[in-house]
Amino acid sequence: MPEGGSPASSGRSGFARNIGRRLVWLVAVVLIVTFIIYWLLDLLPGDTCEVLLGAGATEEFLEECRDENNFGSPLVVRYGTWLGNALTGDFGELYLSRLEVSTALGQKLPATLWLVLYTMIITLAVSVPLGMLAAYKRGSWADSLVSSASFGFIAVPAFVLGLLLILLFSVRFDWFPLGGYAGPTSGLIDHWKSLALPAVTLAAGAIPIYVRLLRADMIQNLEENYAAMVKAKGMPTRTLLFRHMLRPSSFTLVTIAGINLAQLINSTIVVEFIFDIDGVGSFLITSVLAQEYLVVQTVCALIATVFVAVNVLLDILYPALDPRVRRKP
Amino acid sequence: MKLHRHTADLGHATAHPVSHRLQNIWLWLAAAWLAVIVAFALLAPVLGFVNDPYDLTLEIKKGPSGSFWFGTDNLSRDVFARVVWGARLSLLIAFVSTLIGTVIGGVMGLVSGYFKGWIDDVIGSAINILLSLPALMFAMLIVTVMEQSLRNVIIAVSILSIPAVARVARAQTIRFADREFVTAAKGMGARHLRIVFREILPNILPVMLSFAFLAFGIVIISEGALSYIGKSVPSPSITWGAIIASGKNHLEDAPHIIIFPALVLFLTLLAVNYIGDRLLQRSGSRG
Repeated sequence: MPEGGSPASSGRSGFARNIGRRLVWLVAVVLIVTFIIYWLLDLLPGDTCEVLLGAGATEEFLEECRDENNFGSPLVVRYGTWLGNALTGDFGELYLSRLEVSTALGQKLPATLWLVLYTMIITLAVSVPLGMLAAYKRGSWADSLVSSASFGFIAVPAFVLGLLLILLFSVRFDWFPLGGYAGPTSGLIDHWKSLALPAVTLAAGAIPIYVRLLRADMIQNLEENYAAMVKAKGMPTRTLLFRHMLRPSSFTLVTIAGINLAQLINSTIVVEFIFDIDGVGSFLITSVLAQEYLVVQTVCALIATVFVAVNVLLDILYPALDPRVRRKP
Repeated sequence: MKLHRHTADLGHATAHPVSHRLQNIWLWLAAAWLAVIVAFALLAPVLGFVNDPYDLTLEIKKGPSGSFWFGTDNLSRDVFARVVWGARLSLLIAFVSTLIGTVIGGVMGLVSGYFKGWIDDVIGSAINILLSLPALMFAMLIVTVMEQSLRNVIIAVSILSIPAVARVARAQTIRFADREFVTAAKGMGARHLRIVFREILPNILPVMLSFAFLAFGIVIISEGALSYIGKSVPSPSITWGAIIASGKNHLEDAPHIIIFPALVLFLTLLAVNYIGDRLLQRSGSRG
């Protein structure tokens, strides 16, 4: 990505070339990341076959198991095989249950996607008005309150906040379940209840960052001439903020979302574990503990791909959101 | 690159509309809290009123009282003593990891920002690749692969802070690399090593220091999260994260096992973040 970041470099052809370069970057990163992880997992102590077959396994069975899983050949060859299979959607099967990794992942994915979706909704619903308020009433007590509160929330790690929320709302008041995930098919209310606290926990980590950056951005926008123009025309504040300030700031919002994605993925892993949600994050942790390395490998590859892909996509999206980027020479 | 611009913006975005004197009071309070925590951590073995954190008092899950300020845990151990002793390890891990992360990340950023060209391409890509791995997953893998020990936890969390620090150091170096005094030093025949360490480094040091405080906070949180999933320093070693994790199954009848260490953790994070933020504002207005 070095300095290839701005799609504004030079006209239409430059734009297309930039997308091309970003796609090459995408492929390269995914290859490197998956290889690093493959290599790390290869360094793991202990023989997977011995773990699988138990201590009493004969040498004969062990050999067979190693052959079957291709453990004998050199690292690069095995990585190549894995990659080739992965590209056709075959991520192997779990050692213990013989379930296909892709099937298992497919079962875990919905919970995580719902969780991330609700987190994004809560984050935007809270941080956009708060950021606007703080920027519009800059210097007032409301601004100080919003700024101090976001500062405070940055200092609360997800695993602490999650436990405190469980303590307060599940143990003391019994409003929400202690943990576990209910799919949307088992009743919408139960579904929302099961994901409310985890989504709030995740959103609480993201909101301070959104609010701080949005506030700074809005303050700049409010000082632009067109803001003064809208005010001079006697438009209501609501129109000014939501019609004229939000569009240029959507650019910033998208940037923040991209930067914050890695943080969100990180916290999702912990939060799913805290709230006992049967999603990809919990699956990753239990797989590390249970030495199901094919799962770990697949999830890591998936996460890295999603992360890089989203950031490439955002770079392509900027011109659509901000005409200034499009027109610059 | 836009990522840099936004990291830099963070500092200016936080200009609190509060008077200077009030801000200074908060700064002193934050520093005083850190001093108290560090003093407790260092002096834990000689302080008479701090009990043995491993001692079983046979008073199981008792609330806070005169003899046990933070109450006792599910195995009847003194939670206050555990928080004090936990500070030793938590702060040690945070301090050493921040130091390693800042030094390695700082050198990476300096070198790539100063030399530019292919060196920058290589280091820049390495930074971006590190950033595209979810940090916690990576730390978990490292600790699993290299067996759970204090040294390996420190290595794992150090790696987490390297890319962020490197990015800031690189952006800062680029700001100074073409300034007159650097050109002058080059004209006088100074070697690269001298220019980087004697001319540029002193200029980026204030910003690096403020980021070290922020990184310190991130490292404490990462260690806590690792502890929570049982992948940090193995018990019986005590860290703040481990104490909090140990209370997760006793929320109903002994919430104080979590609340007090969480409060101490919160205040410490607040203090380092505040100091880092204020330092960043000061260095920002000067540069």
